[in-house]
Amino acid sequence: MTNEKNIKLSIKNLSKTFDNGKQSEGVAIDNISFDVYDGEFLSILGPSGCGKTTILRLIIGLTEPTSGKIYKDGQDITNLKISKRGMGIVFQNYALFENMTVCQNVEFALKIKKATRKTAHETAMSLLQKMHLADFANKKPADLSGGQQQRVAIARTLALNPDIILFDEPMSALDVDTRMELCAEIKRVQKEFKTTIIYITHDQEEAFSMSDRIMVMTTAKISQIGTPEQILSSPANDYVKKFVVNNLLKKKESLNKIIERIK
Amino acid sequence: MMQRSKKSRGIYWQIFLLVVLVVFVVIPLITLFSKIDGKTVHSLFNSAQFWPAFRNSILTTIISTIISVFIAYCLAWAISRTNIKCKGLFSILLVLPMLIPSISHGMGLTILFGNNGIITKLFKGTSIIYGYFGIILGSVMYSFPVAFLMFVDILKYEDSSVYDAADVLGIPKHKQFFSITLPYMRKALISILFTIFTLIITDYGVPLAVGGQVKTLAVLLYEHAVGQLNYSIGALIGLFLLVPAVVAFLFDLFNKDKSKTGYSTKEFKPKKDTLKDVLAYVICILVSAFVLFSISAFCLQAFAKTYPSDLSFTFEHFKNTFSKNGGEYLYNSIIMSLLTACVGMTVTFVVAYFTSRFKNKLSKLLHIISLISMSIPGLVLGLAYVIVFKRTFLYGTITILVFVNAVHFFASPYLMQYNALNKINENLESVGQVLNIPRVRIITDCILPQCKSTLVEAFTYFFVNSMMTISAVSFLSTRVNKPLSLMINQFEAYGMLECAAVVALLILAVNMLVKMIFYFVKRKKRRTKNVNKKTI
Repeated sequence: MTNEKNIKLSIKNLSKTFDNGKQSEGVAIDNISFDVYDGEFLSILGPSGCGKTTILRLIIGLTEPTSGKIYKDGQDITNLKISKRGMGIVFQNYALFENMTVCQNVEFALKIKKATRKTAHETAMSLLQKMHLADFANKKPADLSGGQQQRVAIARTLALNPDIILFDEPMSALDVDTRMELCAEIKRVQKEFKTTIIYITHDQEEAFSMSDRIMVMTTAKISQIGTPEQILSSPANDYVKKFVVNNLLKKKESLNKIIERIK
Repeated sequence: MMQRSKKSRGIYWQIFLLVVLVVFVVIPLITLFSKIDGKTVHSLFNSAQFWPAFRNSILTTIISTIISVFIAYCLAWAISRTNIKCKGLFSILLVLPMLIPSISHGMGLTILFGNNGIITKLFKGTSIIYGYFGIILGSVMYSFPVAFLMFVDILKYEDSSVYDAADVLGIPKHKQFFSITLPYMRKALISILFTIFTLIITDYGVPLAVGGQVKTLAVLLYEHAVGQLNYSIGALIGLFLLVPAVVAFLFDLFNKDKSKTGYSTKEFKPKKDTLKDVLAYVICILVSAFVLFSISAFCLQAFAKTYPSDLSFTFEHFKNTFSKNGGEYLYNSIIMSLLTACVGMTVTFVVAYFTSRFKNKLSKLLHIISLISMSIPGLVLGLAYVIVFKRTFLYGTITILVFVNAVHFFASPYLMQYNALNKINENLESVGQVLNIPRVRIITDCILPQCKSTLVEAFTYFFVNSMMTISAVSFLSTRVNKPLSLMINQFEAYGMLECAAVVALLILAVNMLVKMIFYFVKRKKRRTKNVNKKTI
C-alpha cells in the first residue's frame, strides 16, 4: 500500500551532537534515515530523553544538524530558512501569546505577512470556527482550559497553511477526557486540511490509536518503523516487545479486570 | 544559511553588552585597585585612625545588623502571619525610611536626641546620641525596611501545609519554629544578614551625622577621598569595604535555592489568635510611631521659625534653601533620576532578555557580571569612576551621574526582569521563527506587554534610589551637576539643620509621589485584569 504513496519528507543519515555543556550533551540523534508519506500520520514513540524532540526540531530547523540531509518534496531543505519550509509546530506547553486575545493569536502571523486587517480577521475567525473556538475569540489564553488553549495553538499553526504539522507531545499537560477529544480533533484536522502529521508521544495508546505508521525509538536510534499491526504482530527486537507490546498487553489486562468487576 | 546569520546576530548583541558591562563595571574597579601600592598600605596601617575606625565599623555594624534583622523579622511576621488590620498602611509607613538619604536619619536623631533635641530638652538630660549609640540607632532606622521587604517576600512563598501537618502531628509551636521555619529560611536569612551588613558598613551618612568622635571606615574613606582627594588611601579602604559584599556574592552564587522551583505552595491563612494579633499590633505601632516621629521631627525643624525657641510656622527655611540653589539641584536630581530610570530600565531589560532567553556560556558570563554590580559599595564605585573619568568630558555632567547610578543600582531590577522573562514561555521565539514573525515583533508585541509591571517596578526602583543616594554621586558631582541629596551633607557641615531638613522633606515628597503613581498604575492594571476575569 505505502509504496504507491508519494514521499513527502525524506530524512537521510541525520545526526546531531550537542557539545555546549547542556544536560543533553553527547549524541542526541545517531545517523537516522526515514521517509514520511504525503498525508500520513506518523507517530514517533519513545521514552523521554531518547531524542524524539530533537528530531522534530531538526526537521523544522530550530536546531541545526551535525550531519545529514532533509528533503521535502524532493528538494533539499537542510539549510532553508525555517519560515520557508511550509511547516507548522504545536508545542507541549502551547506557547501562546498570553497578552493577546485568541483571535489576535491566530491573526498575528497573517498581519506580519501583510494581509489586510479584514482578510486576516476573516481567515482567523473561519479557523476558530472550524476548531470550535469562535465563542472564545475575544478571550485571553489564560481564561481557557488546557484543551482549548491547545486548539488555539493548532488554529494559529493552520493560519499559514502548512502542509506538514509537527506535534511535540501536545497532550502531556491534559487530563484523560480532554485527550480523547483532542485526539479526534487532530485526526479531523488532518483529513480536512489534508496535512501530513508527525506526532511525538511517549504514550503507546495515543500512538496506536491515531497513527498510520509508528516509529519506535531507543536512545538516539530507530528501533522499528511500521504500521501498528506490523509492530504488534512482529516486534523487531526485545526492546520494542517490552516497551510497546507488553505495555499495551498489561493495560489490556487491567482493563479486562475492571470490566469483570463491573459485571 | 539564513538561520545561521540570525543566530550569530544574537551573539553580537551579547558581546556588545559584555563590552559595555566590562567598560562600566570591571575596568573602573581594576583601575581603582591598581592605585594601591606598598606605600599606601604602609601609611594607612600605621596611621592612628585606621585600626580604631576598623574596630568601630565592625562593632557598630554587627550590633546594628542583628537588631535591624530581628526587628525586620518581627515586622514581617506581624504582616504576613497574623490577622491584624491596616496591613497596607503599616507596610507603607514601615518602608518610608527607604525613601530618604541615610544621612538624614542621622540628622533626624540629632533633631530628636541631640544637644538641642526635643527629647533631650523634654527630659532635661544630656545627649547620648553622638557616638556608638547614634550610629547604631541610625543604621537600624534606614536598614530595617530593606530586610523587612526581603522577609515579607520569603514568608509569602513558604508552604503552609507543612505547618498543618506539624499541627496534626502535635509538634509544639516553638519546635515548629526551630525545626521548620528556621531551616526553611536558613539560606535566605544568611543572605539577608550579609545584605544588611554590607549596607551598613558601607554607609557614611549616619556616622558622619551622629558619629562625633567615633569614626568608621566609610567615614574615613569619605574624608580621605572627597575631603583630601587622596584616592589611593580611599581605594585601599574601599577594598576592605568590598570584602563582606564579595563574600555575600559568592555565598549567593553557590547556594542557589533549588527547593522552591516547581512546587505549588499553599498560601498562609493565619488562624484566629488574639494574643498573636495584640503582639503584632504592638510591634507594628511601636516601629511605625518611631518612623513617623522621626519624620515629623524633620517637619518641625523645617517649618518652625527658630527651633526649639520659636515654634511659629514659616516657609522661611524653604525660601532659604531655594535661594542657595536648592531649586537648581532639585531639578538636577529629578532629571538625573528620570534618566537613570529610563536608561536603567532599558539596559536591565535588554541584558535580562539575552541572559534568560539565550542559553549559552556568554549569557552565563553576562549574568554573573550583572550580579557583581550588587556587591560594589556605592562609595567604592564612585571612587573608581572619578579616577577613570576625571579627565574626560563626562566629568561634571549629569550623564556620568546617570551612568554611575545605573551601574550601582543595576542588580536588583536586573534580577526582577530576569525572573519575569524566565517565566515567559520558552518557545515563543521558536513559534515566531516558524510563523515568520521577526524576533523584534515577538519582543515588542508579546514579551514587553507581559513584562509591563516589572518594567514599571524597575523604573521606580532606579528613580527612588537615584533621588536619595549620597554615596557614588558624592565623588562625581561638581557645582554644575550636583544632586539635591548632597546638599544635606553641605548644610549639615555648616550646621544649617533647618535647610537640611527641608531637603530631606523634598526628597521624601518626590519619592512618595513616584511611589504613589506606581501604586495606582499597578492597581489599575490589577483592576482591569479582574474585570476581564469577571466578564467570563
